Amino acid sequence: MEKYRPKKIEDIIGNEEAKATFIEWLKGKRKTKKAVLLYGPPGVGKTALVNAAAKESGFTIIEMNASDTRSEKAVNAIAKPATSYLALDTFTTGSKGNLLFLDEVDGIAGNEDRGGVSAIIEIVEKSKVPVIMAANDPDIDKLRPLKKICLLVRFHQIRLPLIIALLQKICLLEHVKADFEALEHIAQNSKGDVRSAINDLQSLSEENHVLTLLDTMALSSRNKDINMDETLRGYFSAKSIEEVSSLLFRASVDYDEFIMSVSDNLPRRYTNPDELALAYDYVSKADLFRGRIGTEHWHLLKYFFNELSEAAAVAPESYKPFEFISPPIRIITLFWTKGKRTMLNSICGKIGALCHVSHSKAKHEFVPFIKMMLQNQKSSSLISWLELTPEEVDFLVKMNRY
Amino acid sequence: MAVNEEALMWVEKYRPKNLNEVVDLHDIVESLKAFMRKPKTMPHLMFAGIPGTGKTTLALCIAHELFGPNWKNFTLELNASDERGIDTVRERVKDFSRYSRTGFGDIPFALIILDECDQMTGPAQTALRRIMETSSRTSRFILICNQSSKIIEPIQSRCAIFRFSRLDKLAMKEQLQCIAKNEKVKLAPEAAERIVDFSEGDLRHAINALQTAAAYKEGGEVDEKTVSLVIGEASPMQVQKMIRKALFGDFMEARKTMYEIMGSFGFSGNEIIRQVQREIFKMSDLTPEQKADLSNVIGEYDYRLTQGANSDIQLSALLAQFGKFGKVIGETY
Repeated sequence: MEKYRPKKIEDIIGNEEAKATFIEWLKGKRKTKKAVLLYGPPGVGKTALVNAAAKESGFTIIEMNASDTRSEKAVNAIAKPATSYLALDTFTTGSKGNLLFLDEVDGIAGNEDRGGVSAIIEIVEKSKVPVIMAANDPDIDKLRPLKKICLLVRFHQIRLPLIIALLQKICLLEHVKADFEALEHIAQNSKGDVRSAINDLQSLSEENHVLTLLDTMALSSRNKDINMDETLRGYFSAKSIEEVSSLLFRASVDYDEFIMSVSDNLPRRYTNPDELALAYDYVSKADLFRGRIGTEHWHLLKYFFNELSEAAAVAPESYKPFEFISPPIRIITLFWTKGKRTMLNSICGKIGALCHVSHSKAKHEFVPFIKMMLQNQKSSSLISWLELTPEEVDFLVKMNRY
Repeated sequence: MAVNEEALMWVEKYRPKNLNEVVDLHDIVESLKAFMRKPKTMPHLMFAGIPGTGKTTLALCIAHELFGPNWKNFTLELNASDERGIDTVRERVKDFSRYSRTGFGDIPFALIILDECDQMTGPAQTALRRIMETSSRTSRFILICNQSSKIIEPIQSRCAIFRFSRLDKLAMKEQLQCIAKNEKVKLAPEAAERIVDFSEGDLRHAINALQTAAAYKEGGEVDEKTVSLVIGEASPMQVQKMIRKALFGDFMEARKTMYEIMGSFGFSGNEIIRQVQREIFKMSDLTPEQKADLSNVIGEYDYRLTQGANSDIQLSALLAQFGKFGKVIGETY
């Protein structure tokens, strides 16, 4: 992980706009405010950006983070001297001076840090050097006063393709042979957190230098941990809607994984077709709400939970303990059938180009007929016109009907 | 009849190359010929109509007429359902219009054929409109779609729209006989009738079925029995199996089949639900009332599929709803 910590600004992927805003501010072009607050989800490069930018523009960083105590006294002890005077070595080392960096400012909470926020405000007001803060969640009430005196720079989750590309690069440098699907799964699992994606890649490829989708399966079950199983058990065995509902609000599981697991296991829970149909209708509605929530309308989460609760409480009296299906059926199926899909896609691409149709049309309207033609007479001219390889011909002849 | 001797799929072999070779579609062909006499005045075109009625063929004919044998150098063929997003389309159009800026002869533009446009989302279409505007000096677009109503107004208003209606049954039968004669295959009239019925006005589908049936008989006469056999073999068996298992109440097996279809063949949720809809109506052992009830359920879940987050869940839920219908039909086909 440390090896791939970005050292230069250009090494930090994504968030181009935020990066540009911050660098402009640091260079003094946008110094409307003395302090800047970088906020956004973890692992997207906030700390890395501060370190890299300071290095490239010649600042010396004085850093405090959440692990340091942030009482007023502590803040004053470290931060005040750093901000009151221009550094003595400015002239001798060519340093542009100090820069105060307060990482994880949303970590300021509880009695121990009492007065921390007001101390920070005071520092910013009196500071002669730039003050940089970083936070994961800027909406905590305590930080509200800071928003007024800071330039806010928002960081977003890193998009999937960027993370995958980075993982591919690292694999190349580390001589790890990884399937695209495996990297895709790691990236998805990271939810836009580059740091955790790289950590996962490292831990998974430590033992051998080959990485398949199956290897990464351990990942979801590890992250899912006991929590998922416990929540599922509580979910299916609950006696009433209220019970499920309160369980769901307490649970700390990934919602998308959870609803998939519910869907996977529902037929084991309800063996009566009518009960199953009713329960699935609720799960389907829950998924509708998940679709409406998207990435921002989280206030709809209660309706998502409500539908899921209804699904669990369709027939409390019929509950018998059962063993959960895991890992997810979808991932397993997609893993075992990957070769077939790749082969079929390649065939459809060739047909599509020659016959002026989309891959999907080729799949539905040409493949069944061509398969039959090849089964009846191995017309070598047709094969060569379609540019099919012997493996593809073999695949077509032997493949199951749709 | 025009024959492309190199092509071995009959749909390609017998695809007309220029407008004079097109036997049907008189009105459309005449209008297009008028454009061809003064190609500089050709506007963007939109071809709308059900599959297999000659939209792509006429677009390719125009390319041939404009640019001659080297048409491929001046024509960009894109399929909206294959390209990953509008950005790819934009990049390819940009690159293409850069390289072929000069056009051909006195034709000052290159041709861009964009198939299955109605598969594009609203925002993508808005972006497409921008692309059409910015590249209008160097390119002409032929947009092909099944339903013009799915295309946003601003694009429609920039195009001359041609509507392709279902091909005439008689004309289709003539076409099939014509091809059969040229291939030295005897095609029984009832067999031709059966193919035309099956293909529902889609000539591409009909020709594929004919070629397959001919391969079955190898020189013999293609009769109705062979055609029925071929059509049966080409129908989606796995989807039928999935539907029957679900109706019979064997949800676990039905879902397993669903994942097999998704996994092995890479079908999307939308593709599967469309086939389910089609197959339900083909099942002879269901009463019309049962079909209508099932269709209602399918319609509801088809809609949920577009609104929900996860197609696996919606499809599974649909299969579970089928279970409610009880053992209405036999389990095996």
